Amino acid sequence: MAETESTAARRPFSRRTLLKAGAATLGASAFPLPAFAQSKPYSGVTIHGASFQHHFFTLLQNYIPEFEDKTGMKVDLQLSAFPVYNQQANLELSSGGSAYDFCNVTFILAARWIGANLLTDLGEFTSDPNLTPAEWNPSDFVDGAQVPYRDAKGATYGYSWEGGAMVMGLSRMDLMEKKGLKIPKTFAELQQVCGEINSTDNVSGIVSFQLHNWNLPPYIQGFGGNVFKNPPGDIMPALNTPQAIEAVEFYANLLKNDAPKGVITYTEDQARQLLLTGRSNIFIHSSSWVTPILLSPESKVKDTSRVVRMPAGPVADHPASNSQGLGIPKNAKNKKAAWEFIKWALSPEISMRLVKEHGHSSICRRSVIESEEYKKLNVVNGQDLGALYLEVLELPARGDNYMAYRTVKEFPIVGNVINKCFEQVVTGQLSARDAMNAAQDQAIANLRRAGSKI
Amino acid sequence: MTEEGLLDAERRRFNRLALAPCLIVLFLIAGLPAIYLIVVSFTPFQLTEPGSATDFSSPLRNYQLLPGDPRFVNSLWVQLKLSVWGVAFQVLLGMLLALLLNVPSRFVEFARTFFLIPMVLPPIVVAVIWKVLYTPDISPLYYAASLLHFSMPSLTSSVDFALISIIVADTWEWLPFTFLMVLAALQTIPEEFSEAALVDGANRLQIFWYVTLPFIAPILLISGMFRLIDSVKAFPLIFLLTSGGPGSVTEVTNYYAYLLAFDTNEIGYSSAVTVVMLLLVAAVSLGLVWMGSRREGFA
Repeated sequence: MAETESTAARRPFSRRTLLKAGAATLGASAFPLPAFAQSKPYSGVTIHGASFQHHFFTLLQNYIPEFEDKTGMKVDLQLSAFPVYNQQANLELSSGGSAYDFCNVTFILAARWIGANLLTDLGEFTSDPNLTPAEWNPSDFVDGAQVPYRDAKGATYGYSWEGGAMVMGLSRMDLMEKKGLKIPKTFAELQQVCGEINSTDNVSGIVSFQLHNWNLPPYIQGFGGNVFKNPPGDIMPALNTPQAIEAVEFYANLLKNDAPKGVITYTEDQARQLLLTGRSNIFIHSSSWVTPILLSPESKVKDTSRVVRMPAGPVADHPASNSQGLGIPKNAKNKKAAWEFIKWALSPEISMRLVKEHGHSSICRRSVIESEEYKKLNVVNGQDLGALYLEVLELPARGDNYMAYRTVKEFPIVGNVINKCFEQVVTGQLSARDAMNAAQDQAIANLRRAGSKI
Repeated sequence: MTEEGLLDAERRRFNRLALAPCLIVLFLIAGLPAIYLIVVSFTPFQLTEPGSATDFSSPLRNYQLLPGDPRFVNSLWVQLKLSVWGVAFQVLLGMLLALLLNVPSRFVEFARTFFLIPMVLPPIVVAVIWKVLYTPDISPLYYAASLLHFSMPSLTSSVDFALISIIVADTWEWLPFTFLMVLAALQTIPEEFSEAALVDGANRLQIFWYVTLPFIAPILLISGMFRLIDSVKAFPLIFLLTSGGPGSVTEVTNYYAYLLAFDTNEIGYSSAVTVVMLLLVAAVSLGLVWMGSRREGFA
């Protein structure tokens, strides 16, 4: 036996090995493509996608070679500045082009694109178990972040890769404690805290930035008003209601009395910088702009900072939120390959890697946000930033979708009017009442000019 | 036809052929987009309504809406203020600077080169420089004022100073253009004229008024007209410094057209606004050509 074994070991090929090899060769020559396709199912395919420049995609680009290696396809991802991308995508989609296989579904354009039937219903992919395994779990995406990407019938046209939840950052709790002030929970308390802190130790009470149509609506809604009468169904502007006027007066007074000079022309970066250096006490904006006071190495106020819910209004507590999604244009050439990419980019695995390897926290998968790994990175000084982010992001999906005003196609026209009129109030050109009456008239005229039937 | 006539015809044909490539390129890069702009201005084109690009059912609707649009009317008024004041300062200061530096000296030559820098900077760089200067918490101007216990308002967000701050930045950027034009004109004035006036007992002011100014007046006019046409393009300064605000205080017509096209997606209406602007600029340009021909006639 030992001799036989040693003889066999010395032989280069046994008869059985030769037979097996022959059968394998025959099999491979009879069915060569399926075997190849299973390993690299999209070999030779190039998909083209576009979005605006964002940290998420900068990080994702590091992982894309792995995806290309796994699937065999090439991913051509074009990133442009936010307004440039929106212009390009608007033109591309509305002209029925097929240059993109996947694209960012911008929050403020989502309703327009979905309403104009420019995107593919992703249900045709998620409902097919051959295309989407159960583990991918579409319902794992935070519901509040998914609301903009659904039509009236509930069909989904995008999955969110980025969430923004409006929170309040306070950088100088030391000053507040000295003055015996508590974290403001109502608009009235906010006004009091801003007033008391402003000019103390060269610190301004509050800082903000020039996108007034993002910053102002939570106050309008907090006082019981809205931008439109009842969006998305009734898009008649509601800018001169007593609630809207009261909100404009309130927020304009905050900026006039307690914010740094020239705040109405500030960019987000300028406002963030003032918060991170402790030169402004309060900044209310999306979590990704505010949480750096606790997380960023640039922050000089980590020990004296808190990040909490923005104060509630006397009538409602509606902090703003938004999200950005990935979708597939109606006329895309490689829809299945595009879905393969979206599925991979928004998979729980990639989301978790973004969190663990890069500390990127503004993702929209609930299972990841609630994981221990996420908490380890996002609980700072006893403050659970993940829980806060999730809480705010979920709000629009509970009860009425109060962020609906921002996703209707009429919003950019009305938002532009709001920006102008609010500045007129802050700079004393008009009273809040006169400015908002003028805003209402102008918004209606502009919407009618643009063809809205109101 | 005589031999001379044949030669003339041949020459004219050659001239036409030689010019043809330039004219074709000009038509492709300037003519076609302008024609498209005019065509679109007759439609209610909006990016989210694909069919609207070819809807000519009410071709004059956009133009009929323009006089009743308070932002459009205001934007024309703002543009006029910006252009008139900006050009006036540029011509006046450019002339004074040219008079000051019209002396033969190595230092002055260096200074002349130095004064040209703003004009050759990319417009967005100019806007960033002034953004820094006008932002209270990082500006050296505000820091210096605070050292002197003097409180300055935020210039770009003040109703009273926002437009002035744009005019100052625009003047800083384009003053070298008029300076250069006037300096070139000054250097063509024969010395004998000033010397003769001096001999006749004229003082410096009289020499300037009766000798220098008549010589440089056509250049002042031409450079003023060029700047007037160019002042319509003050977009980067407004985009970066004020975004047309506060309110509509610095919202000029091209910025309004930009907002209409790329913020609210009203391409058709924005095109109508742009066509009106184009007509106004064309009218000024024709005036410039007419003045040029008159000047040639005088020569």
